[in-house]
Amino acid sequence: MAPTPHVGPARVRRFRLKNGLSVVLAPIRGSATASVWVWYRVGSKNEWPGVTGASHWVEHMLFQGSPKYAKGEIDQAIVEVGGALNAFTDYDFTAYFSVVPAPQIGVPLDIEADRMTRATIDPAEVERERTVVLSEREGNENWPEFRVDEELGALAFRQHPYRWEVLGYPGDIRALTPRELAAYYRRFYGPRNAVLVVAGGFDETEIRRRVEHDFGRLPATGEDPAVGAQEPEPVGERRATLTGPGTTPYLCVAYPAPAMTAAEAPAAILLDVLLGGETGLFRAGRAFGPPAEHPSARLYRALVDPGLAVEAVSSFRPRFYPGLFLLLAQAAEGVSLERLETAIQRETDRLARSGPTRAELVDARERIRRGAELAYEGARGTGFRLGYFAMFSDPGFEQRLLDSLLGAGSEAIRSAARSLFRPSRKLVVGYAPDGGP
Amino acid sequence: MTPRADPRWVERSTRADGLTIARQAPPPSVESFAATFIAPAGHAYDPDGKEGLAALTSLLLPSGAGRRDRRVLAREIDRLGGALAVRCEPETIELSIRGPTSALERLLALLADVVFEPRLGASDLERVRRQLFERQRRERTQPDSRAELELFRSIFPQGHPYRESGSGTRSSVERIGPTEVRRFHRDHFTSEGGYLVITAPPSLDRVERLAGQWRGRFARERAPASPSVPPARPARDRRRTIEMPGRSQVEIRYGGSTIARSDERFDAAELANEVLGGRPLLSRLFQRIRERGGLAYHSSSEFEAMRWGGHWLAQAGTGSDRTERVLVLLTAEVERIRNHSVPDRELDRVRESWIGSLPLALDTTTGAHALAVDVVYHGLEGDHMVHWPARLRAIPSRTVRDAAVDAMDTSRSAVVVAGPTQVG
Repeated sequence: MAPTPHVGPARVRRFRLKNGLSVVLAPIRGSATASVWVWYRVGSKNEWPGVTGASHWVEHMLFQGSPKYAKGEIDQAIVEVGGALNAFTDYDFTAYFSVVPAPQIGVPLDIEADRMTRATIDPAEVERERTVVLSEREGNENWPEFRVDEELGALAFRQHPYRWEVLGYPGDIRALTPRELAAYYRRFYGPRNAVLVVAGGFDETEIRRRVEHDFGRLPATGEDPAVGAQEPEPVGERRATLTGPGTTPYLCVAYPAPAMTAAEAPAAILLDVLLGGETGLFRAGRAFGPPAEHPSARLYRALVDPGLAVEAVSSFRPRFYPGLFLLLAQAAEGVSLERLETAIQRETDRLARSGPTRAELVDARERIRRGAELAYEGARGTGFRLGYFAMFSDPGFEQRLLDSLLGAGSEAIRSAARSLFRPSRKLVVGYAPDGGP
Repeated sequence: MTPRADPRWVERSTRADGLTIARQAPPPSVESFAATFIAPAGHAYDPDGKEGLAALTSLLLPSGAGRRDRRVLAREIDRLGGALAVRCEPETIELSIRGPTSALERLLALLADVVFEPRLGASDLERVRRQLFERQRRERTQPDSRAELELFRSIFPQGHPYRESGSGTRSSVERIGPTEVRRFHRDHFTSEGGYLVITAPPSLDRVERLAGQWRGRFARERAPASPSVPPARPARDRRRTIEMPGRSQVEIRYGGSTIARSDERFDAAELANEVLGGRPLLSRLFQRIRERGGLAYHSSSEFEAMRWGGHWLAQAGTGSDRTERVLVLLTAEVERIRNHSVPDRELDRVRESWIGSLPLALDTTTGAHALAVDVVYHGLEGDHMVHWPARLRAIPSRTVRDAAVDAMDTSRSAVVVAGPTQVG
């Protein structure tokens, strides 16, 4: 067996400021750019009914001004130097990033320090942004896949806040007050609940000094409360069928799946590679993004090859708490949801019964190994991965996960499939187009 | 940095058989490569009644090559850490492969096999035909793609290469058999008019030697004749409303035909587009409609200039109750960029932002490679990226306005609104 490759940039320096801020510096020799990321351990998992969507809305508000940067000036300060900036909110975290020409690295550092604890959250701007957030949600609602995903969350989670979409319920977005939003920000944002990552072309000593100066004086705020609600083990299949405009039937079969750091996670990730052809966690580029099709993967062979589906993929992106393993298929014309489900069931049963073949397992490991070799590329990609994995565990976690993936045997995977794909845990959401335009 | 190690430089040579081979250095500290073969095989070449032929061919290409069936080919690429992608554009089919530099030779050989020996089998044809039917349905049923589809049909006349999406119709795709696909592949995957662009550490000499396996394998050398391009005409139906019940958001597209990439006004017109809605966060449409108006989540503009012309468009997605307000702002901003010079301060801000974004694009192999493909396909100088900032800085404000007048000709424009009922 080939040795496990080292995953990660050549040089990484980690330290913590007195106010609790974790800092990760990854200088990349020869890089003409630098990326600055701030990851907060706050996402929709921290919300509750009535304030759903608050994490995402706060993300929007952090571009609307802070003491040193009036509305619009944050964007301008970065973009004017040729940089790019954005942010995204997830179930478990919210991340802000800028990529700039290397000599301009001080600009995003200054912005992030300014808005970490002192974003303005102006009530008038909250009102204006309400329509923008609603519009973002409406744009997503145009897609059957979003509606299925939202229904799946409601079906799968009865106790846990993973029940609602990151964008929140429309009613909550309409009702949330500026005061509630500001309180949410003040509670969860701050150095104690954040990880600052700087990657690219910079002088390590100089940036460390700058980080200590700009961020070290911030108050030690930012809560990271554990989510108390635990989802009980399901005791029976749950299903729903949606209708609406669309093309052909679309099916999502899902099962509750282990959390990122659970001992069972590596085997479930390997099941994703066997069924869908890849894991987004170890592939060239970022870990997010839709899964790509792989004609050699089991689902593709079972559904697309015989003409049952035009697309068939799996997706397992582990979360901080136990999440979901998805099997997705878009029907070929004339194929019913039932036929898709039967074909998917046959594949999960087969894996639970016999596990992967030796050749399949060798291929899956090789794919992961190659993906790990190219996972860190460029200042932006490097900053993303360092921050992403920091949201889940300690600095050695990514390497341990890779080691586990490359070391997992056939029997462990078969056993994981037996446990994961139990009928009593099955969730099914179908989308049946109503024939409209 | 020497040109050989600088990703801003693109070296190229054209062989006796007409194939152009180009090489670009990857970004420093990067261990991946990318290669693209560009064939004059876009959907503009679809024969009458066989619309969708180029798209079907492109979908079929990764379905096996030589002795390898689709599964074996995919497995081999996966195991090498590679990724094969294919795109069917109006003018070209682009086949790209990327992966670790250590697997460059093997993955490049696989790309050559896909280009020269695709299986194009009957059973695979049925599979991709189903996928193309699904794409056709998506284009009709998703408000954003439907709005764009209808806009292009309004601004380009029948027979224009940019009028249709390339997916064809159900009946035209049903009429296409394996013989047509093989003939299309033979006639359009030619050395003349073909480009092989490689972003990798080896020198151009070495890249040319590596491309030796591309010699003598083209079924035809001579490039196909360019399709006829009827002149764009004033749009007949200036505003169309497509009612799509059950959707949550309205998509608005306002645009028209535009100049070709080779037009001398191109740089200034592209700069005008950046000011209007192209530059993220700074652009007028983003600022006016989202940041100040709070009326939409997305609002931007597009300027796509190709060999035979192209399109410009201003766009937004919004609620049906806000459609008219957004449309008024979209049209007002288009008029403003055409009728008034951009203030110097604003122009400088947008321009410097755009220039500054170049090193960001050159930070990854994928980003750098996309720029090289553009340089090579459009016949730009090898040092185009090196001198691009100075050229851009030399464009005065009045030239930007003049270019906007010509490139965003509102007398040949149309508006399409697609979304839930009660729009308009």
